[in-house]
Amino acid sequence: MQRPDWAPETIDIERPSVARMYDYYLGGSHNFAADRAAAQAMVAAVPEAPLMAQANRAFLRRAVQFLTEAGVRQFLDIGSGIPTVGNVHEIARRSAPDSRVVYVDVDPVAVAHSREILAGDARATVVQEDLRHPERILAHPGVRGLLDLDEPVAVLVVAVLHFVSDEDRPARILHTLRDALAPGSYLVISQASDEGRGTEERAEAQRVYRSTDNPLWVRSRAELTAFFDGFDLVDPGVVWVPQWRPEAPENAEDAERAVFMGGVGRFGG
Amino acid sequence: MAESAAPRTPSRPGTFARAWAKAVGGTSFLPMTQAQLEALLQRLADQLAGALLAEPFDLRPGYRVGTELVANHIASAEGLGRTVEVVQLRLIRDLGLVGDDVEDRLARLLAAVATGYARALRDRTLDEQESIRRAVMMARTQAERALRESEARFRRQATHDSLTELPNRALFTERLTAALNEPGRGAQRIGLCFVDLDRFKVVNDSLGHQVGDRLLVTVADRLRRALDGHLVARLGGDEFVILVERTGGSEDVVAVADAALAAVREPAMVDGHELVVTASIGIAERQVAGTTPSDLMRAADSTLHWAKAAGGARWEIFDAERNRRELARYALSAAIPPALERGEFYLDYQPLTSLRDGTLLGVEALVRWRHPELGVLRPGSFIGLAEETGLIVPLGAWVLAEACREAEGWSARGGRTPFVSVNLAVLQVHRPGLVQEVHGLLERTGLPPERLQLEITESTMMSTAEEPVRALRGLADLGVRIAIDDFGTGYSNLAYLRDLPVTELKVAGEFVAGLRAPAADPGSRTDERILASLVSLAHALGLTVTAEGVETAGQAERLRAIGCDAGQGWHFGRPAPAERILERVG
Repeated sequence: MQRPDWAPETIDIERPSVARMYDYYLGGSHNFAADRAAAQAMVAAVPEAPLMAQANRAFLRRAVQFLTEAGVRQFLDIGSGIPTVGNVHEIARRSAPDSRVVYVDVDPVAVAHSREILAGDARATVVQEDLRHPERILAHPGVRGLLDLDEPVAVLVVAVLHFVSDEDRPARILHTLRDALAPGSYLVISQASDEGRGTEERAEAQRVYRSTDNPLWVRSRAELTAFFDGFDLVDPGVVWVPQWRPEAPENAEDAERAVFMGGVGRFGG
Repeated sequence: MAESAAPRTPSRPGTFARAWAKAVGGTSFLPMTQAQLEALLQRLADQLAGALLAEPFDLRPGYRVGTELVANHIASAEGLGRTVEVVQLRLIRDLGLVGDDVEDRLARLLAAVATGYARALRDRTLDEQESIRRAVMMARTQAERALRESEARFRRQATHDSLTELPNRALFTERLTAALNEPGRGAQRIGLCFVDLDRFKVVNDSLGHQVGDRLLVTVADRLRRALDGHLVARLGGDEFVILVERTGGSEDVVAVADAALAAVREPAMVDGHELVVTASIGIAERQVAGTTPSDLMRAADSTLHWAKAAGGARWEIFDAERNRRELARYALSAAIPPALERGEFYLDYQPLTSLRDGTLLGVEALVRWRHPELGVLRPGSFIGLAEETGLIVPLGAWVLAEACREAEGWSARGGRTPFVSVNLAVLQVHRPGLVQEVHGLLERTGLPPERLQLEITESTMMSTAEEPVRALRGLADLGVRIAIDDFGTGYSNLAYLRDLPVTELKVAGEFVAGLRAPAADPGSRTDERILASLVSLAHALGLTVTAEGVETAGQAERLRAIGCDAGQGWHFGRPAPAERILERVG
């Protein structure tokens, strides 16, 4: 049953949270027994899961590095999860100390944790909102208070879009976000992909991903590329995440094992 | 010194550091570039090398290296395993370290690294667990607060009107019930004002609902301010209610009602329109003991309708006696349809007698109700009700049909067979299909049309509607007689006498009553002159005249002298069943 808008969610640590499962894959301990059990079940079905998480996190790091070098100083990280190692604000500030970051997550525990970490940081904040309501994100005082949408903003939709079903119309969500951006803004996307898999293999993967508590909607390279409608894809386009501007050529080997594809697009100008 | 053995500036990553970086890469997520990782590990390798050669041998650098690895997120079981492996296998060889007990030292140093690493990892795990649990607690607190807020919001939504922010019916009923049920208050008194704006619909219809809504908000604000201390609620639409507790008598509620009327009456500026509205108020005030919320609400509500019926812009106080009468009337009108079905109505007839030769020209059908509890009721006690409720239509149709059916069976003994005169109510004449109904009746019963007279009142013709005129023409075309009843008491519009197919005027009894006085009496003479003029006017238009309410032989004589054609009244015979009337004629 859909929770009515006025009723707050309950905080139940007996139910696995994707944010804390992701933390577990990254080697963190910000998780509970139920999260670990679910993560281990996922690993049993998809042994690459921890690798996926790490490769994706590394992609995020390289992408943010790239964006700061491109002059971006504002970041909107939607689906930021548990803010463990390699936060966007930490990465960005290494080369651009004046960077402003708004984290957005739907998980109240992830948000509470982020709030604690960001306490006293005037240039970073967190808001609790759902990617499926982009207009609410854009209108949120936390977002409006810290980010100037008349200036370029990098919107990070990293490792979260595969939780958005086709019925929730991910393209519409991205268009709503795009339409609020100033020229010179960027969109970063990564998500689980079944690119290059045979029909049977794809059906099997779909079955595994969708049997979990948080089913994954894996998408092809073409579908991901279409999400960048209105943006100019930065080289090398939409690729397996280890292939996106690797630091060493050998890091891009066996890239499809990372399961995630991603890319960075520039808006206008 | 240990320091002297270690280089002062970090050396460039050598073979060993690169091998170490390769070994630990991928064991957990590292938020740094490959170069940063190699630089870090080179620094740690230098520290380990320094420790291996230092005099005296000190384990603490090994411990520190373990701690630093974890601090730099090389923080997994695999990260430790691979570190032990790569240091054990390659450190001495890759760095070309030489010493007597270097193998021994390495074993002890590695143990320190592992200890430092395990301790740091354990602390880190505990810290992270603590921090995530703290986050859960904060999230719970937040969720509970949000729940309380949303419950309060929900409660407010459920108990307040969203437009005016006034309490709604639910909250009002709750408070009224509480006030009535509060222990020890039975001896106190309580009052309600039901407030309804007059002609509010006109505002909505002419200026739109937005203006109407804003006017309601203005009125609500004023009521709230003017009646501070009393609960003001919006029941819906333009209906408000005020609860007046601990009253000393109805005058306390009247004071509140006056204040409410004054507050509403103030002109209101809404969207550039200056709106002046008034309100009607129904007041109910009584002792708490023995009343219920619904009794009190019902009383105030019906009293509101009295105020409306009296023209609005006023209050009325509930009057139990009036309410009983209205309830009785309501009950009586509700009983008409079943009474029709059960055949409780019947007809009496009153003769219409020729003043020229005393023959019976016709009879007027008069409906009676043989009520099972109230006995026989005359038309005066239920026709008005039937007209108000529209029940006159089926009742009138029954009277007409019954009169035609009975009249058809009459036969003249000697003279002409009398016609039957039936009253038609305004509503009947205005309904389409009347002509067809009468036509069908005449066909079914076989009553010749000239033996049916339909009496209409002047007011029937007052409207500008086409329907009545067309109906009368149609009826006249059928050959039915048309009489104007009670002529002379209404507008006595002479124009329609010229234009309409009327055959007879029935002159109201009040003119005839004047003829009872001696002929020398001035008032009596006036009435006689009026009657004479009416008669001559009617005759000039080719109409006959019947005088109603003829009670004495004297009146009859004077009417005959004037030239009046026929009379009706006690002098000629009271209403009675048809057989009795016809017998007398025979």
